[in-house]
Amino acid sequence: MSITMQCRFVRDTFSINVDVSVASGCVLGIAGENGSGKTTTLDMIAGLLPCTAGSITIDGEVVDDSEMGTFLQPEHRGVATVFQGGGLLPHLSVERNLTFGRGRVLRSTPRFTEVVDAFDLHDLLRRKTNELSGGQRQRTSLARAFLSPSRILLLDEPTTFLDVDSRNAIRRLMKEWFETYEGTVVLVSHDSTEIEDLADVALRVNATRGTTTEANLVQG
Amino acid sequence: MTRRLSHPRGLSFLGLPAAGLVIVPIVAVVWRTPWSNFWSSISNDASRTALALSLRTSLIATLLALVFGTPLAWMLANSTFRGRAVVRALLVLPMVLPPVVGGVALLFAFGRRGLVGGVLDDWFGIRLAFTETATVMAEFFVAAPFFIVVMEAAFEQVDRRVLGAARTFGAGPWRSFLTVTIPLVRPSLIAGLVLTWARALGEFGATITFAGNTPGRTQTVPLAVYSALESGNDSALALSMLMVAVSVVVLVALRGRWISALRRGGE
Repeated sequence: MSITMQCRFVRDTFSINVDVSVASGCVLGIAGENGSGKTTTLDMIAGLLPCTAGSITIDGEVVDDSEMGTFLQPEHRGVATVFQGGGLLPHLSVERNLTFGRGRVLRSTPRFTEVVDAFDLHDLLRRKTNELSGGQRQRTSLARAFLSPSRILLLDEPTTFLDVDSRNAIRRLMKEWFETYEGTVVLVSHDSTEIEDLADVALRVNATRGTTTEANLVQG
Repeated sequence: MTRRLSHPRGLSFLGLPAAGLVIVPIVAVVWRTPWSNFWSSISNDASRTALALSLRTSLIATLLALVFGTPLAWMLANSTFRGRAVVRALLVLPMVLPPVVGGVALLFAFGRRGLVGGVLDDWFGIRLAFTETATVMAEFFVAAPFFIVVMEAAFEQVDRRVLGAARTFGAGPWRSFLTVTIPLVRPSLIAGLVLTWARALGEFGATITFAGNTPGRTQTVPLAVYSALESGNDSALALSMLMVAVSVVVLVALRGRWISALRRGGE
């Protein structure tokens, strides 16, 4: 799945221009300071925010276009997300999170067993996710994303707020799984070593701050 | 010498009158309740009718708050239309308005010559004032804002990231509302319902103004207490005692599990 973004997002005193193409199967890393619009960029791909102007195309299909009035809802975009802090459903068990939106049949598939083993979640399946440690949450969140049939994976600061050991463990897991992952990955992090370590292509958001913040994410 | 950090000397003593003024009357009700004929006082026909009416109307008012207040609170928490602040202020107004004034307002809106009531009467022959429906409306008017306020705060605190994740993993807007948002606000929902019901059960001013004080039709327990007291009837104390007991039960229930939900909202 390739992604093409030529769009602009404006809210209050913040604006960001995005002009980026990601080839299918590529891991794109986006670095940049906090508040520079990295999460906004992911939200636009995911369909959680409509862009103010311009368009976004996923695998040739226009999913967001301000002029044509196109806006495909997130549930129809085929994206899986790993948000900062996990974005897990706190009232559900790890198992219900992993199978969310998919039905229980998923549980008896070999893929489920493979992912649960790889992310070491077997003993946590019945636990509610609000009882988990930060590292356990991120493992659950990554496992949910890799279980999804979606071919675009969006990761927003997947190791922020983790202690050093958990961070290294999560990075190892991501590195390992990115190698065999057939989809396209967009990884956002304020930590440029993480981007260098994991991404095939690295970009940086350039933001100039004044009374307004003007950010640019442009492929050179 | 006591070994502790010193406090402003005498400050606590100034608080005693406040505590006394609140606690002594409650103690007095418990003290003076005619326990020997307590049961007969609350189970005579007039009391039983008032109790049944109170229970029925307050539960209907609470149910209406649930069914119509939840969407309204959700809308206030999630949309940014112009004049939202004004709408919110008007919706909360009944919480601070003297209930009698609320009753007057209801009368001029839904009474026979009221803004809406006039039309209802002329066109459909529907008269709302001084009926059991009016009792429900008065209770809703006074109590529903509590529910709306609690639920709006709860909806505002639902983590957008969690909802966003649910959407990307395939849940449509309705499905994420029902399977993610509602379970996340459930503690507040329960707390809000209990508070609303308690407020509806105790409603007096708006009810007596808009629905009147007709035994068997609009005379709820608080009105029955008032009437019984006027006529020097023993059941005033017994019914008061019952209301104190119900309030204590509500408080204990809220304290145990749900009072924190009022602050936390969702998660």
